[in-house]
Amino acid sequence: MHGGWLTYTILAIFTVGSLIPLVWQIIAASHSSGRLAQTPPPLWFGDRLFDNLGSAWTDANLGLALLNTTFVAGTITFSTVLFATLAGFSFAKLRFRAKNLLFLLVIGTMMVPPQLTVVPLFMAVSEVGWTDHLQAVILPMMVSAFGVFFMRQYLSQALPTELIEAARVDGAHSLRVVWHVVFPVARPAMAVLGMLTFVAAWNEFFWPIIALTQRNPTVQVALTNLGRGYVPDQGVIMAGALLGTLPLLIAFVLFGKQIVGGIMHGAIKG
Amino acid sequence: MAIGLAATLATGLLGACSSSGDGGDDGQVTLTVGVFGQFGYEEAGLYQEYMDANPHIKIQQDSITENKDYIAQLLTRLSQGSGLADIQAIEVANIADMAGDLNTRWVDFNEYEDVDTSHFAPWKLVQSTSADGRLIGLGTDIGPTAICYRKDLLEEAGLPTDRDELGALWAGDWTAYIEAGEQFQENAPDGVSWVDSPGGVYNGVVSSYEERYYDGSGELVYETSEAVQAAWELGVRTEESGLSTRQKQFTPEWERAMANGDFATISCPAWMLGYIQEKAGDAAEGLWDAAPAPVPSNWGGAFVGVPEAGKNHEEAVKLAAWLTAPEQQAKLFTERGSFPSSLEAQSTPEVQDATHPYFEGMPMGEIFSGAAAEIPPTIIGPRDQLIQEAFADGLLQIAQQGESPDSAWSNTLSRIQNALDE
Amino acid sequence: MTTDNVPAAPPVSTGGAAPPGDAAKEQRRANRRSRRYQRDTKWSPYGFIAPFFVFFAAFGLFPLLYTGWSALHRVSLHNPNELEWVGFQNFTRLWEDEFFWNALGNTFTIGVISTVPQLLMALGIAHLLNYKLRGSMMFRVAMLTPYATSIAAATLVFAMLYGRDYGLINWALGLVGIDPVSWEAGSWSSQFAVSTIVIWRWTGYNALIYLAAMQAVPHDLYESAALDGASRWKQFIHVTIPSLRPTIIFTVVVSTIGATQLFGEPLLFAGSPAGGSQSQYQTLGLYMYQMGWFNFHLGRAAAIAWTMFMLLILIGLVYWAITRWVNRDTAGKEA
Repeated sequence: MHGGWLTYTILAIFTVGSLIPLVWQIIAASHSSGRLAQTPPPLWFGDRLFDNLGSAWTDANLGLALLNTTFVAGTITFSTVLFATLAGFSFAKLRFRAKNLLFLLVIGTMMVPPQLTVVPLFMAVSEVGWTDHLQAVILPMMVSAFGVFFMRQYLSQALPTELIEAARVDGAHSLRVVWHVVFPVARPAMAVLGMLTFVAAWNEFFWPIIALTQRNPTVQVALTNLGRGYVPDQGVIMAGALLGTLPLLIAFVLFGKQIVGGIMHGAIKG
Repeated sequence: MAIGLAATLATGLLGACSSSGDGGDDGQVTLTVGVFGQFGYEEAGLYQEYMDANPHIKIQQDSITENKDYIAQLLTRLSQGSGLADIQAIEVANIADMAGDLNTRWVDFNEYEDVDTSHFAPWKLVQSTSADGRLIGLGTDIGPTAICYRKDLLEEAGLPTDRDELGALWAGDWTAYIEAGEQFQENAPDGVSWVDSPGGVYNGVVSSYEERYYDGSGELVYETSEAVQAAWELGVRTEESGLSTRQKQFTPEWERAMANGDFATISCPAWMLGYIQEKAGDAAEGLWDAAPAPVPSNWGGAFVGVPEAGKNHEEAVKLAAWLTAPEQQAKLFTERGSFPSSLEAQSTPEVQDATHPYFEGMPMGEIFSGAAAEIPPTIIGPRDQLIQEAFADGLLQIAQQGESPDSAWSNTLSRIQNALDE
Repeated sequence: MTTDNVPAAPPVSTGGAAPPGDAAKEQRRANRRSRRYQRDTKWSPYGFIAPFFVFFAAFGLFPLLYTGWSALHRVSLHNPNELEWVGFQNFTRLWEDEFFWNALGNTFTIGVISTVPQLLMALGIAHLLNYKLRGSMMFRVAMLTPYATSIAAATLVFAMLYGRDYGLINWALGLVGIDPVSWEAGSWSSQFAVSTIVIWRWTGYNALIYLAAMQAVPHDLYESAALDGASRWKQFIHVTIPSLRPTIIFTVVVSTIGATQLFGEPLLFAGSPAGGSQSQYQTLGLYMYQMGWFNFHLGRAAAIAWTMFMLLILIGLVYWAITRWVNRDTAGKEA
């Protein structure tokens, strides 16, 4: 089905609404802090963009931070998607003892407010000497209950039981079934989960601020270093925030084809 | 398969991250300094200067802009004795905690002979000394307070614009400052208020008393203290006479009010000058000036301490002492506007004669030194900041939500009680 | 590996007919294969969920239990290792804690006015994105940018929008003759404003989740519906929505949990954990954060966290009971 003009209009409105803050971020990054405080606020680009980007880059140790964050978010995304798909498949389509209880436990873990786990987590992390090391922010986020739940719901709808049975009849071992049947069907959901996980891991700051310092920062930790003196320079802060978001947007655009491709591929299967 | 790959990645990671170099055989020492936003050691070139003079030292700074993020990290790390920098900054709002329950987590500067503490303002030393006499922090800056004002707006309303004349107008009495505001408001330009916020008035007034929220023995007295009563009443009067823009300080809207000249005066610690310059911008250059506050007071300031859990106590103490020595403090004032807590630095010609170009050569050294010399030896307690913010919020309830002063007062008390109750 | 959907499963075939002479050998091989098959079916489900539980046990369970334990103590952030037993006092005191009830009420109202429109809009957008579109990639990336935007940038934007004196919204209202609204100060207006931040951040995110599920709806379902003369709207109601049920349940559950723990948006609205000078938009998550990280009472904060946890379990039970009741009802009608 093709979209009509109404479809395009509605989508355009939502797109603009979603993009305004990003555009504003670029505009704000191109002005001085003082100009941003004035009324009316600047609605068009100023001439300070590259100055502010430069200050943000040197002030915030962003080179190392970007490398670190790419590694952290990449590892977390890979393991979250993989383990969530396996567990989600198991919960959606397989039969085993205590399944419902275990699944409730998964959902239960989502309900724990994350702000409070920080203190005990730091105790544990400092006990094993991981303070300021990247594994302190990677390992606690290697799996996600959200991901398991997401995959279970998706696969219970999208994966026909007959497909698994058919593979079974051919004598396929469980891992082969996963590889040849589950993964292909799960691809659209895996793509979406991967995208969401990557973004979340990239933007995570509450725990990393406690666990890491500027010596070995992620992007969000590095960006906490942007206020200089008593007066926060909003222009530089926005430039830093922009530098921190840009890699995500570039990744969307570069890998978007693959992700969308993944979604389309799944559609044909269904 | 994929699981194996993840495992390999993870182990590789553990190996790669477990080496971080400090110490070493060649006598090189790396010192880390953990600060929150408002320091400026790096920007003033102090680290570089120290490293040039001491080639075996390398200094790295970790900075977190907002003290609330910084203090969360610092407290968590102090309690575990893990991952601390060799030197950590401490905001005045947190110093009572650090010198109180947590004092044993910090090195006692008194134990180091080459630390000269004679040049600091005595009350600043008292604040960072524990009950049993351990000195856990060396003072960096303080916040002697003036009143900053817009000359053009005062002139339009028919008030004097000369700083000495204004200072004399309200000398010794905050009430006179509010009365001047009531006079201002009668002829004020359209949409212009006397002061930015009731909270600003409250902070200025309350900071000019010795005893605010705790008494000398550490008991809570905020419900009955003269300081809170006086400050609250003037805050209420500010609202009842319609003298403020009804903003909450340090929000974007407050900054816009500053940039647009919506208010004529503001309680102005030394560090506020930079704020005004930055936010009011070029358009208001030369329009601002500063006069002595009715009663001298202190708002803000900080310390540096050396955590016990650090590795290089000797070198860290040396650096901390050097950073807070009179010459460095004086330099930090002229370059960054952080007013020295060192009396010796305060009396240097650089500080005394300092002027501020944005304020058209306003003699800031003279004005703030004058205030600093009269600052009362304020008693600070562990929860000062929390209590202060609650009172400022209480006044905001009157300003923004139309609460009556009485119910705002009782709301504030119950909020503080709830927050303090363990 | 045994599949759950027993009625739908075809009978398991034992393979082709074997030549008579090799019957015994074939039988042994079949036995061996079936033993291996049984081991595989019995243990592989556990193998698949094991990584999750191993990591959870290592990094989730300890904090969870520790939080529960510290809720029974007086603990300060100054020294989390020092616990002083107080029993259930941290829980029982919540009954008389006006700030807790205020936060609970706020959490509920903000939760409702943010979640319901958000999910409905996400469903609609996903449906539109599911059409063949030019530039569909661009739309998808754009809709995810709020989720990728940093807190700093979002704060600046919303402060600009909702400012009392200089906000764009009040300026626009002024154009049509409406007096400026003190958005942050009012209790209704601030909760509305916080809800719009929630909606803005999460609508695209949920739309993407719906979209992924929609892509898996078989085309022939639509085709046969179209042949029956169903309009696009009818197809959406009668084909898309029912097929999406598991995903819709998922988003409702996740949004409910998210709304109960709502934290970032009210915090970034004015940058204070008090949630307004009268705590007019302080949520439970924010109250807990304030208690632990500003008032430094970790024990009390832990008790709030566990109360939220138990509240969610309660909501879960109610929800479960309702679905059961509804299902039984419809089953009764069908019978």
